[in-house]
Amino acid sequence: MIRLHNVQKSYRQGSRAVLACAVDHLEIAAGEQVALIGRSGTGKTTLLNILAGILRPDRGEVEVVGARIDQLSESARDRHRGQHIGMVFQTFNLLQPFTALENVLLGALFGRGAGGDAKERAAALLAKVGLGDRLHHRPGELSVGQVQRVAICRALINDPELVLMDEPLGNQDKTTGNQVLDLLLQLASEHGKTVVMVTHDPESAARMQRTVDLATLRGAEVLA
Amino acid sequence: MRLWSISLRNLRIRAVATTLTALAIVVATALYAAILLMAEQTKQRYEGSIGGFQAVVGPKDASQLEVVLNTIFHVGDSAGLIPLRVCNDLRNSRVGRRAQVHYAIPQARGDSVSHYNFPVVATLDEMFTLFQRGGAPLSFAQGGPFAFSYQELQELAEQLAAYETAQRTGSEPVPPRPLLRAEWKKCVIGARVQKKLGLQLGDVVTPVHGKMGEFGFHEHPEAACEVVGILAPTNSPIDATIFLPLGTHLLIDGHEEGVFVLEIPAGKNPDDARKLPARADQIALTAIVADPKDHFGAQFLRREFGTRPDAQVAWPQFEVPKFLRTMGSISDALEVVAWLVLFGAALSIAAVIYNTMNERRREIAIMRSLGARRGQVFAIIVLEAGLLSLFGAALGIVACHAAAFGFGEYVEDMTGVHLDWTQFAVWEIWLVFGVGAIGALAGVLPAVKGSTTQVADNLAQNY
Repeated sequence: MIRLHNVQKSYRQGSRAVLACAVDHLEIAAGEQVALIGRSGTGKTTLLNILAGILRPDRGEVEVVGARIDQLSESARDRHRGQHIGMVFQTFNLLQPFTALENVLLGALFGRGAGGDAKERAAALLAKVGLGDRLHHRPGELSVGQVQRVAICRALINDPELVLMDEPLGNQDKTTGNQVLDLLLQLASEHGKTVVMVTHDPESAARMQRTVDLATLRGAEVLA
Repeated sequence: MRLWSISLRNLRIRAVATTLTALAIVVATALYAAILLMAEQTKQRYEGSIGGFQAVVGPKDASQLEVVLNTIFHVGDSAGLIPLRVCNDLRNSRVGRRAQVHYAIPQARGDSVSHYNFPVVATLDEMFTLFQRGGAPLSFAQGGPFAFSYQELQELAEQLAAYETAQRTGSEPVPPRPLLRAEWKKCVIGARVQKKLGLQLGDVVTPVHGKMGEFGFHEHPEAACEVVGILAPTNSPIDATIFLPLGTHLLIDGHEEGVFVLEIPAGKNPDDARKLPARADQIALTAIVADPKDHFGAQFLRREFGTRPDAQVAWPQFEVPKFLRTMGSISDALEVVAWLVLFGAALSIAAVIYNTMNERRREIAIMRSLGARRGQVFAIIVLEAGLLSLFGAALGIVACHAAAFGFGEYVEDMTGVHLDWTQFAVWEIWLVFGVGAIGALAGVLPAVKGSTTQVADNLAQNY
C-alpha cells in the first residue's frame, strides 16, 4: 500500500536548506492502522503531505496505492489524492459557507465525482455517524465532535484505500476524541482501509496496530 | 454539486462586495444598451418617417438636409420661403407633366401648439387624400380631414394678391382683406398630440407663435381651430403634428408680412420690390411635398431644380441616411465611452476578487487537499467573475428597458424619438454574454493567484 525509500524533503530558509523530513525506508501494508509519532519538528506533517502528494520529496521513492507519486505531475497527484486518499486534519478544515452535506459532497466533487448517487451516499454516511438530522447545518452550527465526524465522512466519501489523519483528536476533549477515533477505526476496519495517523498522544497511538517513531526512520546518511 | 455552485456560493457569502461590483456592471451595461437602443430606434424612427416624402421642394438658400429635417422632422425654424408658383409648376406646367408628379402638396410651417411646441403644418386636404405613406393614405383613428382644396387656395391667393397690390401701390378702392372663414377653422391632430393634450373631436386648439415665456410669444385666438380628425399612430413626426388649412395660416393676424415672397427684380432694391404689385403665385410656402412617378421623373426634377433660382428639390432617401451616418459617429463615440465604463467595471471585478484571494488561501488549500486540481480552482474563480458579470449584464439590460419605460415619454418629448421598451433585440443577448466573457477574462488574474496558492503552507495555518 505504502512504500517509501530514501526520501528527503528540505525547505529553504533564506540561503540555507533545512531538512524537514527524512525516511530511509518505510512500508505499510494494505489494511494496516499505523500511528506516526515523533517530537515536534521531526517532519510528521511533512511526511503526511508527501504521502498525500501535496508535497513532492526532493529525492527518494514514494509509492502510494500502487502509484509512484514522486514521479507524477502535480495534476496527476491531485487526481490520485482525490480518488484514493481521504484526509482528516487537526483543524477539521471544513468550509464554513457550506452545509455538512455540501462539505462531504465537496470531497466527492474533487474525488470520484459528485454526480449520480453521491448525494445519497453522503447523506447515508452522515446518518451513519449520527448526523442524519444535521445535514443542512453549517459548521458554525455544529459542535466540535459533530464537525470532526463531518470531516471523517468527507474523508470516506470516495471510498478511499488510504486515510491520512493529522492530529485528528488534537482539538477535542479526551472523551469526544476517543469516540471519534473509535468511529473512524471502526469504519476503516469495516471497509478494510489503511489508516496512517500522526499523533502526539501515546494513548491514541497505542490503539493503532503499529506505531512508527519518525526519528527511527532517519537513515545514517541523513543523520550524518 | 458543481464547480459553478461553489462560485455562486462564494459570491453569496460576499454579498456586499458582490452587489457593489454587480452594480458597476449593471450601470455599464445599461449605459451601453441604452446608447444602442437609442441609436437603433432613432434610426428606425428616421428611416420609417420618410415614407411618402419622395421629394421635398424647399428654399434655395437652405441645404438639402435642412429642407428634409425641417419639412419632415420639423427640426429648427423654416429656412426660407418658396413661392406658390413652384407648386403651380409642379402641378400644372410642363415640369409636373414631364416628372409625372403624382402629388405636389404645399405646406407652410411656423406656429405651434401648447408648451410642447407641437408644430402646426398648414396644408391642403390632399395631405389626407393624395399623400401616401406605406402605400396608403394617412388613416384616422377618429373623425376625418378638414376641407381646404388647391382650388380654394388659388382663389384665396388671388384675393390676397389684389388686397396686397392695392396696399403696396396705393390704388383705390382697396378691396377688403379676405376673412377667415369658419369652415377653415378646423384641424387634424396627430396621435401623440391627442394623447399628450387629451384632445377629443370637437375640442379647440389655439396656435401660438414663439415659445412660451420667450420674447415675441403670442397666441392666435382668431385662428383657434376645432379638432375634426385624429390620426392613427404612425411612429413618425406626423404623430406630433397639428395640420390646419393653408387658408387659416395665411389669414392669421400678424402673418400679413410673410404672406408673399418678396421677389426682387434685377436692378431693383427691396424697397422698390415692396411697391410692385403682388401676384397670387407669390404666396409664401415653406415646402412642397412631391411624388414623382418614377426614377425618370425624379431625374427630371433633379435637373429642373438644379437650374431654378427660386427653389431646390431634396431627396429624403439620400439625405436621411447621410444624416444618420453623421449621427452614427456620435453614437460610436458614446459607445467608446460605454466600453470604457465597462472596462472600468471589469477592472473593479478583478480588483474585488483579487483582494479576496488572501483571505481565501486556506479555503483553496482545503479544496486542493481534497483533490481539486489547479485548473478546477482556476475555473471556480473565473466562473465567479463570469457569473457576476453575466448577472450584472442581464440586470443592466433589464435596467435599460426599465429606463426606456420610465423615461420614454420624457425622451420623446425632448427628441421626438419614441423608445419602445418592449422591443428586445438579438444584440442584447450577445451583449449579456459578451459582458460575461469580459468579466470572466477579468477573473483570470485572481484565478492565477488563487490556483497557485501553496497548499501545505496554508493547510498548516490555523487562521
